[in-house]
Amino acid sequence: MSVLEEALWTEKYRPRTLNDVVNQKEIVERLKKFISEKNMPHLLFAGSPGTGKTTIALALVHDLFGENFRDYFLELNASDERGIDVIRNKVKDFARTLPGKDVPFKVILLDEADNMTSDAQQALRRTMELFTSTTRFILACNYLSKVIEPIQSRTALFRFYPLKKEDVVARLEFIAKQEKVSYDQDGLDAIYDVTMGDMRKSINLLQASSAYGKVSVESVYKVLGLAKPKEILEMLNASLQGDFNTARSKLRELLVTYGLSGEDIIKQMHRELVGNNLLKIPEELRVIIADYLGEAEFRLVEGADDDIQLSAVLAKLAILGNKYDIGATK
Amino acid sequence: MSHLQWSIKYRPRSLSEVENQEEVKEELKSWLERWMNGKPNYKAVLLNGPPGVGKTTIAEALAHDYNMELLEMNASDSRRLNDLKSIAEKASTSSSLFGEKGRIILLDEVDGINSRQDAGAIPAIIDLIEGTKFPIILTANNAWDPSLRELRNVAKLIDLKRLGKIPMKKLLERICKAEKVICDPKGIGAIADVSEGDARYAINMLQSIAEVYRRVTEDLVKELVRKKERTLDPFETLRDIFWAKFFWQARAAATTSEVDYELLIRWISENIPLQFQDMEDVFRGFDVLGKASIFLRRAKLGDWDLLSYVFDLMGPGVSFAESSKLNGSWKAKWVKYQFPSYVHLMSKTKESRDALRSASEKIAKACHCSTDKAINEYFPFMRVLPLDEFSPQELKVIKGIERESETKNGERQQQRKNIRSRKRT
Repeated sequence: MSVLEEALWTEKYRPRTLNDVVNQKEIVERLKKFISEKNMPHLLFAGSPGTGKTTIALALVHDLFGENFRDYFLELNASDERGIDVIRNKVKDFARTLPGKDVPFKVILLDEADNMTSDAQQALRRTMELFTSTTRFILACNYLSKVIEPIQSRTALFRFYPLKKEDVVARLEFIAKQEKVSYDQDGLDAIYDVTMGDMRKSINLLQASSAYGKVSVESVYKVLGLAKPKEILEMLNASLQGDFNTARSKLRELLVTYGLSGEDIIKQMHRELVGNNLLKIPEELRVIIADYLGEAEFRLVEGADDDIQLSAVLAKLAILGNKYDIGATK
Repeated sequence: MSHLQWSIKYRPRSLSEVENQEEVKEELKSWLERWMNGKPNYKAVLLNGPPGVGKTTIAEALAHDYNMELLEMNASDSRRLNDLKSIAEKASTSSSLFGEKGRIILLDEVDGINSRQDAGAIPAIIDLIEGTKFPIILTANNAWDPSLRELRNVAKLIDLKRLGKIPMKKLLERICKAEKVICDPKGIGAIADVSEGDARYAINMLQSIAEVYRRVTEDLVKELVRKKERTLDPFETLRDIFWAKFFWQARAAATTSEVDYELLIRWISENIPLQFQDMEDVFRGFDVLGKASIFLRRAKLGDWDLLSYVFDLMGPGVSFAESSKLNGSWKAKWVKYQFPSYVHLMSKTKESRDALRSASEKIAKACHCSTDKAINEYFPFMRVLPLDEFSPQELKVIKGIERESETKNGERQQQRKNIRSRKRT
């Protein structure tokens, strides 16, 4: 385990084998069958973030191939591999070497597959067919609807659901004890309340709050406050008050200093809009803004430039703020 | 006020209206008549001359005068081999040239053919010329370009003269009269001077002044007309876009800029809030520019035809985002345009962005996730952790630059103590 993997609890406490996985019981049972038969179809793991897709994929190949599973396993992330050609070449190179003795195939995990365009997915489908005699694919995605049907029909689907509260809390308690962190029950409950069954986020939040001495409601919310860029709310307020230039400089900080993508920023603005009482605006205005944020995110998905499309959002907010007299209340 | 470009509106329809090209006209007529008699001396002619001397106009007028159909293909639109081949096929298979209506094939701007991108286009044109049953007219700004050497061998080269100052002035005066524009001979003379024989350019200049001021004086020309043969610098581009009163003016500004479209989009974006006072206009400007950026992205993925719409939206789209332009009383606002600060910011922050990337790659590798997820899911929580595995620069970006100073020092030290004492136990 690398220093970094040791330092981050999400990695340190990631289950290594299917037996260690305490959740997603039905999925684990079905996968264990593949291991005993030493055969499996292509797999499609779909579910919200932090529900164990990558963990279970890693545990599966560990159990299939043993400790040296890395020799028979290729991990790709569709969000970072630039284009289908890169993926195709990596797959080709990997598939060229022979599989091991016991298991007649090798495994490729393609994570965040729903971030591929449908054209790229079509090309991926052909690649999957080409190497099907020696390789199996595990595709992981958040949104099944973003995976094209031909791929869905060629894979065995496993749906991952958010973890139950008792499972999350039990795991957090286990980690806290191992790490000798003091905590109270309300603190762990608070973690679940904000992460809603996302295990990765829960553990990250546990670790960060523990840096304040004790995991409590107070420290959890302190971390949450620190964890989100304050510029989001500042940007929203500035633009609603008609101060377009200030709002735009906040936007650039988010894009450049924080390295957030335009879509990330829109999502965080949306979060402030729906789940936060720090933004003081009339309810009907929330609806209008939500509608426009959706439009802007759609444009960004289509390929609009982050800085320009978000500048349009800020100008829109300035217009709406003026219409609803937001500047005057301040 | 006419919204049609005057250079199109007053384009000669017949050869008799074409000024100053008597020899060319005679040569073309006798060439075409030999074709009609079935014994052409050349299958094709190559009209050579600088922009705006009337190459395309003459070809069109010739077809008009002989009541023939002009099968036109602009080489700078589409030079794909298949298109050429389909024209060649039509040209060689059609049975009778003068059965119903004759045809002339026009291949415009053959020197726009890029020998690398359009490999095979020149041989395809030569095949077309050799197999054709119809007269072919080629046009070029510079027929002496080395890539056109073989074409010069199979087509008769005809040079077109630049329009002289006297016929140019006559032409401009005629248009002024027709458009009821007050014109000062010195103003017209000044346009003729800078146009250097390019009639299209001269007429466009005339229109851009006359449409706004209804008169053309020497002072106005000196103030508003730039010498041509130069692309617009970004400041001129912006002024022309924002001040344009017509679609084509704003579009021409966007397409003739010396900055490429990618950078131009940043220039426009920077200056929209400076130029427009009304926030509604600012919004419309950014909104339309956002759309342009989508088309640009698509174009770069291979749909280059979409580039055309990028210019439509970048130029006219932004220009007419200003709603008060529709008022009769609208006057362009003078603005000191700014260099795009976003570009500046990106180059200034290269180091920290590199650190951000390398830090996110480390996390992505360790945590089996994408770099995007590393930034969104891990960085926020790592801000409060002491991390020894990152370089100072990487730590700075993970923790957020000013956040460092914001958190009280005492609090931070306390955190470190807590963690240390825990590690010891």
